[in-house]
Amino acid sequence: MRKLFYLFNALLLASFLVALYIDHDTEWRKYQKEFFRAQSAKLEERAASAKSPEEAKALRDQAKGLRDQPVMIRQIIVKDLDAVDRCITCHVGMDEFANPTLKTDLKEQPFTGHPDLKGVVKDHPFQKFACTSCHAGQGLATTAKAAHGDVENWEKPLLKGSLIQASCARCHANFETLKGAETVAMGRKLMENHGCMGCHQINRVGGVISVDLGDIADKPLERVAPYNFSLIQKDGKPLPKEEWKLQAWIEAHLTNVPMDFVPNDPFAKYNKEPIAPSGMPDFTRELPKGGADAITAYLLSLSHEPIPSTYFVAAAPKPEPRFGSAVEHGRFVFKKYGCAGCHGVDAKEGRRNYNALGPGQPELASVAGDEGKLHEAMSLGREPTLPETVGTYTREELRAKIQNGVPGSAIVKYNPDGPVPPLYMPPWKDKIKGAELEDLLTYLMSIAKKDDLGF
Amino acid sequence: MAETASPTPSSTQANGGGNGFKLPDFDTLKKSVVDSQVWRSIFRGGVWKDTPRDRSAHIIGNVWLHLHPVRIRPRALQWTFTWGLGGISFMLFLILTVTGVLLMFYYRPTVDLAYQDMKDLEFAITLGKLMRNMHRWSAQAMVVFVILHMVRVFLTGSYKKPREFNWGVGVLLLTLTLFLSFTGYLLPWDQLAIWAVTVGTNMAGATPGLGNEGPFSSLLGMRINNDVRFVLLGGTIVGENTLLRFYVMHCVAVPLIVGVLLILHFWRIRKDSFSAAPIDPNEQKVEVWPNLIVREYIAAAGCLLAIMLWSIWMNAPLEFEANPNVTPNPSKAPWYFVGLQELLVYFDPWIAGVVLPNLIIVGLMAIPYIDTNPKGVGYYAWKERRFANIQFLLGVAMWFILIYIGYYCRGPNFAWYWPWESWLIQQAPPPPTWSVFGPKGDASLPIWLGLPVLGLGGVFAMVGPKLIQRELPELKSTLLFILAMAAVAVIGNVAFGLPWLQGFWLVFFGSLYFYFGFLLPQKYIRGLDWTRYLVTMFLVVCTMGVLLKMGARLGFQIKYVLTIPALSLNI
Repeated sequence: MRKLFYLFNALLLASFLVALYIDHDTEWRKYQKEFFRAQSAKLEERAASAKSPEEAKALRDQAKGLRDQPVMIRQIIVKDLDAVDRCITCHVGMDEFANPTLKTDLKEQPFTGHPDLKGVVKDHPFQKFACTSCHAGQGLATTAKAAHGDVENWEKPLLKGSLIQASCARCHANFETLKGAETVAMGRKLMENHGCMGCHQINRVGGVISVDLGDIADKPLERVAPYNFSLIQKDGKPLPKEEWKLQAWIEAHLTNVPMDFVPNDPFAKYNKEPIAPSGMPDFTRELPKGGADAITAYLLSLSHEPIPSTYFVAAAPKPEPRFGSAVEHGRFVFKKYGCAGCHGVDAKEGRRNYNALGPGQPELASVAGDEGKLHEAMSLGREPTLPETVGTYTREELRAKIQNGVPGSAIVKYNPDGPVPPLYMPPWKDKIKGAELEDLLTYLMSIAKKDDLGF
Repeated sequence: MAETASPTPSSTQANGGGNGFKLPDFDTLKKSVVDSQVWRSIFRGGVWKDTPRDRSAHIIGNVWLHLHPVRIRPRALQWTFTWGLGGISFMLFLILTVTGVLLMFYYRPTVDLAYQDMKDLEFAITLGKLMRNMHRWSAQAMVVFVILHMVRVFLTGSYKKPREFNWGVGVLLLTLTLFLSFTGYLLPWDQLAIWAVTVGTNMAGATPGLGNEGPFSSLLGMRINNDVRFVLLGGTIVGENTLLRFYVMHCVAVPLIVGVLLILHFWRIRKDSFSAAPIDPNEQKVEVWPNLIVREYIAAAGCLLAIMLWSIWMNAPLEFEANPNVTPNPSKAPWYFVGLQELLVYFDPWIAGVVLPNLIIVGLMAIPYIDTNPKGVGYYAWKERRFANIQFLLGVAMWFILIYIGYYCRGPNFAWYWPWESWLIQQAPPPPTWSVFGPKGDASLPIWLGLPVLGLGGVFAMVGPKLIQRELPELKSTLLFILAMAAVAVIGNVAFGLPWLQGFWLVFFGSLYFYFGFLLPQKYIRGLDWTRYLVTMFLVVCTMGVLLKMGARLGFQIKYVLTIPALSLNI
């Protein structure tokens, strides 16, 4: 008994010491010590080769100041932004109190200084903006993995590369003309050019076929089914689980064929009625290089989280565009309302509309028994290719069609037992009116294919 | 005693003259300290001489130890009698109190700050993570150990006369342990927390009469904003008020009640004495100090050590910050309530969430008064208490089977997923359910047929075993019954196309009922007086009824055996 008594007491003490050691043995302590050592050594080096004794003394004082710094958790607290950011605990070169110049001679992370000290840092002092308001990540964390948000149960990982421009656009309403925000401005432009607004609203401006993207950056990760994440492909492989985050979800809509990872239930296996796969068109081929990244950056800027008014930068009103001809104006109207979303850029080719009628579909009877072939045939369903169809309408008929739209239930299905096609023509009569409508009609009539006789 | 040149003025009793100071020897020094007025005012008794008188005085004179007797029978000291389970439960309560108080220094129970404080504990506070882990794991362990303690007390018959009341106190303590754990579940304010508490408190909303979704609630004018759930939540959803209420209940109100009951529980053990058998009046008792105290200490130290190591190894879970607008799929209650949540698959919320748990609590408390078997007090009596042990262990096993199913076999939409199946795979919808007796359109057969059939069945289930006063051969009749059921299954298959799996289900659940619900009561309690017999049989039939309903739902897709929507009665 007595032996057990001593043994247990010894083990208890030992386990407590182990716990204390583990608690103390943190990566940030190592980083801080290493920074103070290496940076002060560099300063001493520079002091040794300094030109004047004053300069040498200043450098030595600076080095001593660094060596005398205590090793501790360092944080920037910004009440207005609800930020408690401990990033400078490891990135200690960016702590204004430990390293007042904010410059470091060290090139590797986490010891580097912040780039562009004279520009972006001067305009966004750390004490007013903290870190996560631009970079995202988990400011409270003190381990690299957790702080960068590469852990489960953290919604917002670090915005890497040009994605960080999403943060510029949150406050800068003038981001389209802002220096340094070129990527996110391009994202906005691409959304207009490719007709995203035809289906998606952004804060209630745009089409109503799909979700409003105005607060897409706030979408809770748990709203995305893990099942859908598991179907996303990245570089030919399934998306690794650590990357099942919102930015990957948004980007996948542009780098994957949305139908492939949102297959839904076209054969009514899990539901009473068949549900068509995602109606979002395949943008993988038509976006320019970097386009998916740019659009992702822009979408990540769309949040309804309030920003303090003092952080907001207003934009100057855009000049009203002028047009030389009705056709030119009509083409602009076509783009403005996102018609390209369904009818293709410059109305060249109608996009996929699952289970609608489309060119090249085989006889239904020939594929009826085979689920795979049937799915393929239903995937060939298309929205109208306007140059081929508008010619069959009179101007008045076309006007009525645009004004009243075509509801999903009125679209002829290829497979009558299959799902309702996901895309449809919404009624535009409240949005496109007057000169816009007339010029749009003129434009559409002008692109109609003419047969050999000119009709 | 060595001569020293050091001019230490420490010695007050420099014996011997000379120029130098002499260090006093240890014994003299000790005596002078012990005899000092300060020491004597704090500790009674003089220098420890390890006499029987000293050892007794140590127990009697110490406020912390005096709940112990001075002497104890050696039989009660054996590890294999108590397994230290009650003591370990108490030690876990102490660990929880200490770590809990430490956590309270850092934790602010508000919606804006609670989750941030969890992050601070993890990332910025010295030993914060260890404290939270220890608190979390001790809480889980306490639930387990209190249940194990109850099982041990049952198996050694230690609840029997004169200890009936203390068993009841113990049952209350078990309930409060679960409630303490449940109230603590909310405090981290993550998704796990609010949805587990939402599931739990929604069950309270189904209380008959008092919850707005329970039967007869309109009689008392219950609405969503004045019923028992509203009182618990301080609102209609889990929010700021709920967090504050749960915090106060968790940190102050419930621990106070538990503390009071613990004192009562310990005092009654002391007064009712240990149950360990055999009780021999001539037995030579041994001293509690050090024999019992050292064992208690070692159990407590072992417990603390295990919790420490476990907490170093495993981190307490923390999910996304709570978001009342996003419901995880599936949302599950804390594991010890997942069994009740699983019961929701088979019964209406007011039965699964209110009636059955209350029946379990009341049934447990009733055990000492309905178990008249005088044998098996103070030792593990398998043969002499066969009926009591089997029925009790069956109940405990069912509790944990329900927890297992709810925890490991339920995936998105609470659909059945085997533990090895990925939740990423979509599942076809389950086959449609049907009801046996009920109004037209809802069920296959009418209520007027169901009431007498089920009523007569229930009466026979209750009374039947007592009516047959002849001893039935256990093995033979069981085998005969299984064969008969198998014949029914085969005929069902051949004549009516009953699938083999359902046939097996029929044999399995039928035989379980026959053995536990009919044969064993017939064999062991047919001689009991009518009151005790009926109470016992009511509990047995309820347990078996739950089992049969599970079989009916899982094997035959029967939603309700009897449904009377007008009375909110669905079973």
